[in-house]
Amino acid sequence: MFTSALCPFKFLLRTGVTRREFLKISIIAVTLFGSSGGCSLKKGIHEEATGPLPDIDIGGIIRPPGALPEREFRAKCISCGVCVNVCHVMKYDAIQIMGTGDIKSFGTPYIKDMRDFPCGLCMECPRHCPTGALRKIEKEKVAMGQALIDFGLCFGWNGDVCLSCSKACPLGAKVFDFYNSEWGNQPFINEDCVGCGLCVKYCPLGGSAVKVVTKNKYSEIRSWYLDEFRRLRELSQDERYAIVYSRNMPEITARGRLVEREYR
Amino acid sequence: MSIDRVDSKRTGLIKLSKLRRFVMLLFLMQFLKIKVLVGGLTGSLAVWFVRLIDVFAYFESLFASRDFTTRGGEVTVALVSVLPIIGIYLVFGRAFCGWICPMDFLFEIMDRMRVRIQRKETTFKIPLETGYVFILIFLLASMLSEVPFFTNYLSHLTNLFRFLTGVFFISFALPFSPVVLVYSGGIIMLFLGLEYLKPRLWCRVLCPVGKIYGAFNKISLLSLRFSEGECGECSLCDQVCYMGVKIAQNIDRPGLRDTNCIYCGRCVEGCETKGRLIKMKIGG
Repeated sequence: MFTSALCPFKFLLRTGVTRREFLKISIIAVTLFGSSGGCSLKKGIHEEATGPLPDIDIGGIIRPPGALPEREFRAKCISCGVCVNVCHVMKYDAIQIMGTGDIKSFGTPYIKDMRDFPCGLCMECPRHCPTGALRKIEKEKVAMGQALIDFGLCFGWNGDVCLSCSKACPLGAKVFDFYNSEWGNQPFINEDCVGCGLCVKYCPLGGSAVKVVTKNKYSEIRSWYLDEFRRLRELSQDERYAIVYSRNMPEITARGRLVEREYR
Repeated sequence: MSIDRVDSKRTGLIKLSKLRRFVMLLFLMQFLKIKVLVGGLTGSLAVWFVRLIDVFAYFESLFASRDFTTRGGEVTVALVSVLPIIGIYLVFGRAFCGWICPMDFLFEIMDRMRVRIQRKETTFKIPLETGYVFILIFLLASMLSEVPFFTNYLSHLTNLFRFLTGVFFISFALPFSPVVLVYSGGIIMLFLGLEYLKPRLWCRVLCPVGKIYGAFNKISLLSLRFSEGECGECSLCDQVCYMGVKIAQNIDRPGLRDTNCIYCGRCVEGCETKGRLIKMKIGG
């Protein structure tokens, strides 16, 4: 009787919970509490900026490199998770498992957010895919998407020389064209781009100035994008000055203040 | 419980139940960064070189793609991946279920829990052929939806490995969709619930993956062999077999090729003669 009076969990003794069971319950409780606490702490760190080209959506799902056309890919992929695992081992962690969205794509691999985890084009996932949903092809022939530069946000288009994107690009000079002028080094990503998204991550602007859209979406907006590109280059000095200083610079400086995304 | 605990020390037999847990853990070690086998067991990569794909998953993706020709490189990739599996199970029959499938381990934990509380009646009257109907339904559903239906949404293997991957990713602060985690966890809980209510109903009758491997049992090199004359007719073998194989009835015959036998070795260990009467043997 004396020991039970001292026990701080006396009520548990009355409900008939044994010590072993109590230990079990407390371990589960601590684990749950810890994991939920860990998750809520993580959320606070990331401050989401509106991405570049906010009016243009990605236009579908960006699949891992070498993926078959969407319909055939879904039929072939048995969502075994080999590519996810291989990507993790290669330390890119770009391939994620699809959750919400299209029910037909549930559980299939895709590249979620290139601002955090771009594809490194190591080409290990197509080499190891057991189903053939990812084909073995050369780096240059990958068609994950097309990177688009937001000319309103890019340093190189607004009076600076930056080059970060071209340095990050695994295909280098094949993809990047530069149109140097007094308004900066003006990078342009041509259609040899495979859409790996390394430029998206290494853009120094808060929230990145590059966006990767699917090749289908690009073919839709291609004429608009090229018109925009030509129009900017043909503007007179005064018109360009007005655009850069009245519209673009405040936006760029505002984004520059955002917390930088975590580099892994 | 007393019949579950088999004393094999005296006979010097390798404890098969221990051995097969070890084999299973070998494949779960990918979450400890030891990559003997990578990926869910529906499709996986062994020792970073051999690509493997489950036979049922292969058929499902074949039906989903609606392309039964072998032209193009993609089709041959899947074919090359499925052939080693067919080769393995031509030798070992349905040993996958007893030796590699992690659900077998989870189900065994559920069984122990049930035994501790109360022993429920474990018989049921669903014909074994239901599994083949399931296979046809899933193949048809795959063909209509153009997605490997069972493998993608319902498979115990896919969902277990998705769930484990999710836990692994989240514990290393990598992004993982919580929807997938909850869904996969839920499916696994459903399987465990089914196991609690109807022990081994899934394995014996419904599981399409196991049914396909069960067909290999008919021609596999590995099979159950019986020696003549020593049986004391205690029918311990029938009691320890959780797959419902009728061993005691067939003990007079030289061997048994049942589609439900998973070569777990419980009958070998459970037999009063401790492995002299019932044997698992490869080849003639």
